[in-house]
Amino acid sequence: MLIIERLTKTYGEKKAVDDLSLHIRPGEIYGFIGHNGAGKTTTLKSAVGILQFDEGNIIVNGTSLKDDPVKCKRQLAYIPDNPDLYEFMSGIKYLNFIADIFGIPSDVRQEKIREYADLLELTGDLAQPISAYSHGMKQKLAVISAWIHDPALILMDEPFVGLDPKASHLLKEMMREHCDKGGAIFFSTHVLEVAEKLCDKVAIIKQGRLVKAGTMEEVKGDDSLEEVFLELEAE
Amino acid sequence: MFWILLKKQASEVFKGYFYDAKKNRMRSVPAIIAWFVFFIVIMVVFLGGMFTTLALSLCAGLVSVGVGWLYFLLMSGLAVVLGAFGSIFNSYTSLYLSKDNDLLLSLPIPVRTIIAARIVNVYLLGAMYSAVVLLPTLIVYWGLFGATARTVICGILLFLIVTGFVMVLACLLGWVVAKLSRRLKNKSYITVLLTLLFIGVYYFCYFKANAFIRELILHAEIYGAKVKGKAYAFYLFGRIGEGDWVATAIYFVVMVVLLAAVWTVLTRSFLSIAVAGGTTTKVRYVEKTVKRKSEFGALLSKEFTRFTSNANYMLNSGLGILMIPALGVLLLLKGRELCAVINDAFTGRPDSGAILICTMLFMLASMTDTAAPSISLEGKSLWIPQSLPVTAKTVLRSKLSMQLILLMIPMTFTVICAAVAVPGMVAVKLLVCCIILVFAVFYSVWCMVIGVRMPVLHWTNETAPIKQSGGVMLALFGDWGLAIVFVILYLAVGYKLGAVAYLALWTVVFAAIALLLLRWLDTRGAKAFEAL
Repeated sequence: MLIIERLTKTYGEKKAVDDLSLHIRPGEIYGFIGHNGAGKTTTLKSAVGILQFDEGNIIVNGTSLKDDPVKCKRQLAYIPDNPDLYEFMSGIKYLNFIADIFGIPSDVRQEKIREYADLLELTGDLAQPISAYSHGMKQKLAVISAWIHDPALILMDEPFVGLDPKASHLLKEMMREHCDKGGAIFFSTHVLEVAEKLCDKVAIIKQGRLVKAGTMEEVKGDDSLEEVFLELEAE
Repeated sequence: MFWILLKKQASEVFKGYFYDAKKNRMRSVPAIIAWFVFFIVIMVVFLGGMFTTLALSLCAGLVSVGVGWLYFLLMSGLAVVLGAFGSIFNSYTSLYLSKDNDLLLSLPIPVRTIIAARIVNVYLLGAMYSAVVLLPTLIVYWGLFGATARTVICGILLFLIVTGFVMVLACLLGWVVAKLSRRLKNKSYITVLLTLLFIGVYYFCYFKANAFIRELILHAEIYGAKVKGKAYAFYLFGRIGEGDWVATAIYFVVMVVLLAAVWTVLTRSFLSIAVAGGTTTKVRYVEKTVKRKSEFGALLSKEFTRFTSNANYMLNSGLGILMIPALGVLLLLKGRELCAVINDAFTGRPDSGAILICTMLFMLASMTDTAAPSISLEGKSLWIPQSLPVTAKTVLRSKLSMQLILLMIPMTFTVICAAVAVPGMVAVKLLVCCIILVFAVFYSVWCMVIGVRMPVLHWTNETAPIKQSGGVMLALFGDWGLAIVFVILYLAVGYKLGAVAYLALWTVVFAAIALLLLRWLDTRGAKAFEAL
């Protein structure tokens, strides 16, 4: 579903991501962990075509992001760490905008909006301008906008930040359901307990380089993910 | 603390001069110097030079007949007009709508310090514009009649009084708009309407005063005596520049009282306006089926939503929507008369009237420049168009299309009016229509190119990209500069070709450049957008 091959991205002199390779397969929830500034966001932004990278390749469902970025982007959704959405729009206008871009028919989008907005308890606020939303409400709207076009691959940067416990729980269920239907999810998080319980696979990044990746069992063995992570960080 | 806040605001205003957002790094020292030189040339040489010429033409004549105070009164009036024009549009946003409100209020900074820094920001912007009139006014007077300690001190105080008055006007309008917009649903439209109403009244008085001033200059002595007798306050105001201590003291005290009143009003209401979300009722969501739009339609609709929801954007980048048709109506009513006067004034240069009308419309086109700040306005939400499955070319075309729609529709009406007004051959009338419409297309593409080349993506106050960015300045002054070159070239040598050939030549030039720029936008411009 998503192949990241020898990805390298530099900012001036600093290598934010250094020769990173990952393979996310259909049905997998793939966690991405690392300390602040390790290169998680840069990797995610490169994988969705926001950042241009220096070396390597990113392949989404067999299509290279460099060769056909629009085709790749049609198959994925991205939720950033800080949901800076169009504040001049209302929630419903933003969802319709995203649905228009992905060419979702009117009846289908209406049904999806109803389903996810009801689930995340945002229906009553959809007519409100996004500028009046709290951080959590914006995050919920970003989640709905990602799920509305039924993407094969969803990339999320710290998706649980700002969500209330109920919404967090619902998002985890949505993620599992999405992958059970053959989709894939690649997300970064600092909440190691969540990663440990939710992810099928996990990758640990340190100073732009991949230090460990694999199934949860392969990475943590008999220890907790937190212990493994702290051990690797200390090295 | 106050200075830290001021420094933060100044760094935001001048960020584009030091930092290249496209390359994500600091500019080189020569590039920084070049940008500042460009800014100084615009302010000092272009605007300052214009008002120095005016001051030179008025000063000696009025002072020699004993009404030097009238010189200072007229020039101060102009300074207030220009200063208010420069600061009044964005006072509401500058005072209350900064994105760092929550951050600053959470820090151990007294609220009064935040307000003071914001007011000083409004003051500096107004003062910058007023200074291009006032400084030449004072320097010309001191140069011609000598600078004594008294006239210099009073001159400096005159500067402070006038710029202080501009600030009071701007702050009060910002406060009124803020108070009203909290209670209203269509805030952006109401803000635009109120500001336009204010400007309308302001300029109505100003233009009425203009005719009055002309008459006043012709009979300076007689009217000087009359004004002194019947409107003593104006006389007294003008006396400040001549070094009258009493007049200076009176107006200085008045200004201090006005400032204190504005300070009281703003400090009492700042928190409730800046922090509260307003008192409008919650909009109830009613599910309805919407018609599916194309990719391009969705992007264009998004641009229009942004435009119509932002009063600051509408006022600063869309005023041409009203002003261009207004000029069209004026041309229908007075165009023939105007052309006759111009043609008489430039005998030997046939069809000068048509050329000058084209120049006016070229200049007026700069009042619709939505494309220039459109990429900067994406700000932190730039990730949305960059992560969606649309090409950068489509995104840029949608932004360009909004400006084309907003500019071409009113312009089409006005060119028809211009064609009716312009006397002479049908060919000249047709070419006037063609060149103005082609120029409007060229200007729109030019604005879009500037938008891509000079984006300001990191801002806390939307005034920065809309009004204060180098790109917007370049779009505005570039348009004016080109219009001036167009008319001067005709009056100097172009008339030898004849108006038909001259207009045809420029039409082809504008069309060719527009096509080249459009080609650049679709290719390298699109790549530049992707790399932002």
